[in-house]
Amino acid sequence: MIVVENVSKSYGRFGRRTRALDGVSLEVQRGETLGLIGPNGAGKTTLLSCLLGFVRPETGAIRIGGRAVDDLWVRARTGYMPERLGFDRDLTGGAFLAHHWRLSGGDPTKTRGEVASAAARVGLEGPVLAKKLKTYSRGMLQRIGVAQATLGDPDLLFLDEPASGTDPLGVSIVRDRILEAKSRGATVVLNSHQLAEVERVCDRVVFIDRGRLTRSETLTGEAASRRRAIVRVPPERVEDARGLLDSAGIACQAAAEGALRLDGSTEAEVARAVKALALGDVPVLEVRSSAELEELFRESPTR
Amino acid sequence: MIEMIRRFLRQRFGNPIVAVTLVVLALLIGVTIALSGTRAGTSSAFLALVILAARSVSKDASSGALQMILARPLRRTQYLYGRYAGILCAYAAFLVLCGVFAALLAVAALPALRVPAPPFDPRVLLRGLAGSLLGAVLFSAVLLFFSTFLPGYGDVLAYFLVAILLSLPEALGQALKTPWLGDAARVAHQNLLPEVDWDTVLGGQDVLGAPTGRWVLAVVVFLAAAALVFRRREFAYGQD
Repeated sequence: MIVVENVSKSYGRFGRRTRALDGVSLEVQRGETLGLIGPNGAGKTTLLSCLLGFVRPETGAIRIGGRAVDDLWVRARTGYMPERLGFDRDLTGGAFLAHHWRLSGGDPTKTRGEVASAAARVGLEGPVLAKKLKTYSRGMLQRIGVAQATLGDPDLLFLDEPASGTDPLGVSIVRDRILEAKSRGATVVLNSHQLAEVERVCDRVVFIDRGRLTRSETLTGEAASRRRAIVRVPPERVEDARGLLDSAGIACQAAAEGALRLDGSTEAEVARAVKALALGDVPVLEVRSSAELEELFRESPTR
Repeated sequence: MIEMIRRFLRQRFGNPIVAVTLVVLALLIGVTIALSGTRAGTSSAFLALVILAARSVSKDASSGALQMILARPLRRTQYLYGRYAGILCAYAAFLVLCGVFAALLAVAALPALRVPAPPFDPRVLLRGLAGSLLGAVLFSAVLLFFSTFLPGYGDVLAYFLVAILLSLPEALGQALKTPWLGDAARVAHQNLLPEVDWDTVLGGQDVLGAPTGRWVLAVVVFLAAAALVFRRREFAYGQD
């Protein structure tokens, strides 16, 4: 779906040029949700800007669905939410969404219904939509930004820090919208510093640092990279559980009370561990499996 | 394009301060036209044009609104020329308001108050307003061009700077007794910022004269240059 080949981009002039992207290559499959992870100034937003055609790469090429990034066919299927939301603050929320619906080429007769539906999905309904955007809180602006990006259910979603500055409810709304887009087969590129959220919604993450793509980790499916799983059993059965896991050839360490940590496990190994415990009649109270993105982020070569 | 025009009008007239300023200005211009004639009034309308045309692109670019718009299935030239058409539509609406105020004052208010005023001729008024709109066509094109790459009010400042620079060498040429400098400045001024006597042209005289031709050429050049710059421009934003 998205093919990025050897893209480089520098900013600045004469002797003060900063390399924002340095030979970045990656592919995003149709229906995949990709997370961009990296420290501030790593080049994530520049990469998004290149994907959206706001910035032209100096070298390399980007194709989306085999077309140029600024092709109107691509644009008609794209939803975008920038990190810095630029609104006409004298507009009402409803007028803002209606404006973007019309800009996206949506059927004018369906404007009212589509606007109401998109707003309702982010928890903005009724009188809120009649208020001017300048009266909205930061969280509400983020939500209407997400509603704007998901108007008309686009096939491609580019989200730049969509949950930045929102409360826990806002974070969960953003997550739900991304998962909804995933479920209908949309391709999502997400730039976020909220690693836990990235892990919950992304199929794969790429680490970017100083303009270079340093690492790629698959988070879901058979190809998933190593994961760290916590299996909690009754504290008095910890030793039994360790014995069963040892017999099954699964390395583990005792963590907190009643918890066993399985290092470097794939999803299949976690499933095998649970099965071994169940067959050994050890109750499994909880299983948590995560890619520990924070740790991977710290381990990143240039950290 | 239509959506861009609609957005421009909403931006300008949706702001209460700008809307009130324009209405007050239209009233003052209406009074001037009714008391001193169309030419005196329409020359003041230039101030409203500055308010309407300034920062037409640069404000969207700096606020980040432009990126959200350009992510939509819209060509950059559609956005740009939509803004341009928006300026002209907004200015046309402003001129209509001026005309309505002037007509009401000349026909009803001034005679009732027994204030001496020149005779009211609607055709002269219409011609004056149309001339002002045609003058705005070039001025807006120049501001649009500068707004594609200069931040904030740089477009207005650049216009006045260019106007001053183009008139300065003529004076310098006279002072330094270097006629070629004055000639060069005059040619540049005539071609880049040509002045057309729209009252005469709209009156049916010298319609296809050299000033009109230079005006058409200047409008086309500034609009084409604006599109060229805007299509090439990058819109990076924020920090990672």
